[in-house]
Amino acid sequence: MIRRFVLKRLLTGALQMLGLTLAVFFLVRMLPADPVSRLVGLNASPEAYKQAQRSLGLDEPVMTQLLNYLGIGSDSGLLQGDLDVSWVTNAPVLAEIGASLPITLELLTYSFAVTLLFAVPVGVASAANPGKAVDKFVFFYGLFGGSQPEFWWGLLFVLIFFANLGIAPAPLGMISPLLQAPPRVTGFYTLDALIAGDFRAFFDILHHLMLPVLTMVFVLSGPVIKMVRQSMIRAQASDFVLYANAAGLRRKTVTRYAMRAAIAPTITLVGILYGVMLGGAVLVESVFSLGGIGQYAVRSVLAFDYPSIQGIVLVITAISLLIYLLLDILYAIIDPRVVYT
Amino acid sequence: MRAFMFPPNLRQTLARTGSAIALTAGAILSTVSPTAAAEGDTLLFLAEDVPSGLDIDGPSIAIPTTQLGMVQLLEPLIAYEYFDEPNEDGVLMPDFTKPVGRLLESWDYDPETLVWTLHLRKGVLSCAGNEFTADDMMYTYARALNVGSAVPNAWFLLNMSGVKGFTQEVFSPDEDVAKEARILGDGIRKIDDYTIEVEQVEANPLLLVNMAVTISQGVLDSKVMEENATEDDPWAYDYANNVNLPSFGPYCLESWTKNDEIRFKANPNYYRGVAPIETAIIKKVPQGGNRISILRSGQAQLIQGMTPNQYDSLRKMPGIKVSGVTGNEGLFGVMNFATPPFDNIKLRQAIAYAMPYERIINVGYSGQAKQWESVIPETYPGYTPYEPGYSYDPEKAKELLAEAGYPNGEGLEEFAEQFKLTYVAEKETTLGPVVNQIRTALNEIGIPVTLDPIPQTQYGDRQIVKKDLAFGLNDQEKPIGVDAGYAMQLFFVSAEAGGLNNMMNYKNPELDEQWSVARVEGDMDKREEILSDMQTTLMEDVAWLPIVTFKTQWAHSDKLSGLSWNPSNSLLLYDLHY
Repeated sequence: MIRRFVLKRLLTGALQMLGLTLAVFFLVRMLPADPVSRLVGLNASPEAYKQAQRSLGLDEPVMTQLLNYLGIGSDSGLLQGDLDVSWVTNAPVLAEIGASLPITLELLTYSFAVTLLFAVPVGVASAANPGKAVDKFVFFYGLFGGSQPEFWWGLLFVLIFFANLGIAPAPLGMISPLLQAPPRVTGFYTLDALIAGDFRAFFDILHHLMLPVLTMVFVLSGPVIKMVRQSMIRAQASDFVLYANAAGLRRKTVTRYAMRAAIAPTITLVGILYGVMLGGAVLVESVFSLGGIGQYAVRSVLAFDYPSIQGIVLVITAISLLIYLLLDILYAIIDPRVVYT
Repeated sequence: MRAFMFPPNLRQTLARTGSAIALTAGAILSTVSPTAAAEGDTLLFLAEDVPSGLDIDGPSIAIPTTQLGMVQLLEPLIAYEYFDEPNEDGVLMPDFTKPVGRLLESWDYDPETLVWTLHLRKGVLSCAGNEFTADDMMYTYARALNVGSAVPNAWFLLNMSGVKGFTQEVFSPDEDVAKEARILGDGIRKIDDYTIEVEQVEANPLLLVNMAVTISQGVLDSKVMEENATEDDPWAYDYANNVNLPSFGPYCLESWTKNDEIRFKANPNYYRGVAPIETAIIKKVPQGGNRISILRSGQAQLIQGMTPNQYDSLRKMPGIKVSGVTGNEGLFGVMNFATPPFDNIKLRQAIAYAMPYERIINVGYSGQAKQWESVIPETYPGYTPYEPGYSYDPEKAKELLAEAGYPNGEGLEEFAEQFKLTYVAEKETTLGPVVNQIRTALNEIGIPVTLDPIPQTQYGDRQIVKKDLAFGLNDQEKPIGVDAGYAMQLFFVSAEAGGLNNMMNYKNPELDEQWSVARVEGDMDKREEILSDMQTTLMEDVAWLPIVTFKTQWAHSDKLSGLSWNPSNSLLLYDLHY
């Protein structure tokens, strides 16, 4: 059953990707500027302009450009796993995404892990003690944490923890510029440092991740705590908890039952937030000079770098679809009432 | 099927979680101290970005941070002697009247045959240890003529210099013609291992000027390039764009992560002596505020890309010095001659007299600018300030506006669309205060200006390709060739007369005629006289509206000195020392 479900979702996903590919391909070409002009600069002749236009393939009719991009009738293209070459760097888009995406995934994974570690107990505690100190803290934290954008918190944390207290490193990326980055194996700095057995680099990377993760956790925890709290309150008011209490089960056991019912919406929220933050963490990446996929996306959009924009949208969409698929599977594991259809 | 099991005792869980986080943080902090400051032989330089590519003809050649990386690796054919005394900020300034050989030891010119004989310096070694010879020059010229990459930058300057064989035919739609034109003929000849001859099709003094443009005319280490050529990429464009730029410059590439950092090691073979700073790291820190914080902490020694107001604040901070040069950066207005009402000279002059120059200098540039009085940079040879000049005179502006047919601005309301002052949105922090000053001043005399920030790429497209910017403000164009004639051909001569980027559709047959004479004038005094006249004409016509020329600035540790300026505005790290 689950195999059919997954297969069906993957097929649907492939169709969605195809539709998106076509939409993005045509939409970027409707942007109100010609990317060639940025390439050649002002110290260029009309001939240079034409040469640049030709080198990008923009002198071809749009449908020819599309077929080339898809790899239909040519040796390389999307169907052959080639996302084309960036118009700014001349490097393969796939390689550039491969360099920037793990940074964002690493940031997000640590951030969501810490968020869950912090937010779930706090949310449950808040639900268990309505109107008490923990609950009030959750209320004010929700207002406070969500009241400012993440880059503002990031800058504030840099000011406090780096500039004033001196306990955080300078916002200089994933690792101190004076240390050698571990040899690239997975692209995830912490993993690569462990694989290389370079613990100095490993701890330096953790140290550099400290403030960006804190920033993300600070902002993400608000909605997650609220979701846990609401879900727990709803679960605690449900019949099966009433029955469990009436049956004289221990509070520990009842809480466990209630949490299991309450966790599904939280996991859904975290999954959605994860997908959103793939591109949405750009400001945090910018504040801490992390060079993740968000920064790459912004640079590509500002440069009207069509291949990079198309590649980024495709990859982020693919990851989001994968996350939603995993969420559905996880949801069913948590809640036996969910049936694969 | 039990996917999640959370400990039920919440207080204990909270306590455990808190303790775990505290312990982990403690462990990390006890193991890792904040980044140690770079010392002695290392420089940490924070910039807005790092090079996106390194190829001379690559797609990112127009990006200043790309040029910053390239000038560390390349060695120019010729450069300019520095003046004995640095400027008021301690920055060494080039004397453009005194070219000095670098990769070229000397050169001769025969006006009869239009042949330049270039004598190459002997004993120059590349980062790979290869000796610089005529083969490297021939390879670099042949590659330039191949125009196979995104931007034929090297070809462009050689074409502009009138070098034989560097013709427009390389772009011919007829493939056979283009293929034939891309083969290096007898326009550039190897005489022996240390001598090259370059022949021009007509007398053109721009050749010497353009040879000093490092980012276009830098010479590649042909042996390394050929080793990295492939069947699909015989000129190693991918290698130069994405891996290394092998050359004979003061630094060698140690590592490079695009979008993150680039590291240089001093070239141990450099013929002028090994760089005082052995390791230089240029690190991307996008946030200006963070660049300041890190510089203040002492962990970085040099930053760039700040706004004038930020530099002004930095100037007052202990341990930090701000150095700047009023070199070749200027702010100017563009009024499109093809778009009424800007075809009206009186209106353009009215706007020139309504411009609040002093307010712009003080508010927009914190005093680190001065009024720009010509259309070429004041540091360039042949610069001629306009007499009597434009000054802020609202009464005179009103008179001119009335003479233009719009007393007190009456009648201009129908041109609301044309009076949108367009500028690059990404430069809002710098240009925002300036455009507001301009809007206020022009509104005061009845000109209905509104503001129109648009993305950089869109601005470039409208300026270079569509040429339909009615009223624009620009602070990012400079002629990279240090010559008034170069600027004339680039910006002001009409396309019919060989002009390249006449963004405001200015057409003046007399000016075109003057340029046709000056372009091939071998007598430099006569040439300068013509170029001076041309500047005056352009100022009278308000072809551009030069507003201010402002300082290119850097902030750095006060222990760092030796800053020098060159027209690319990219700091040469070789000159720096503690």
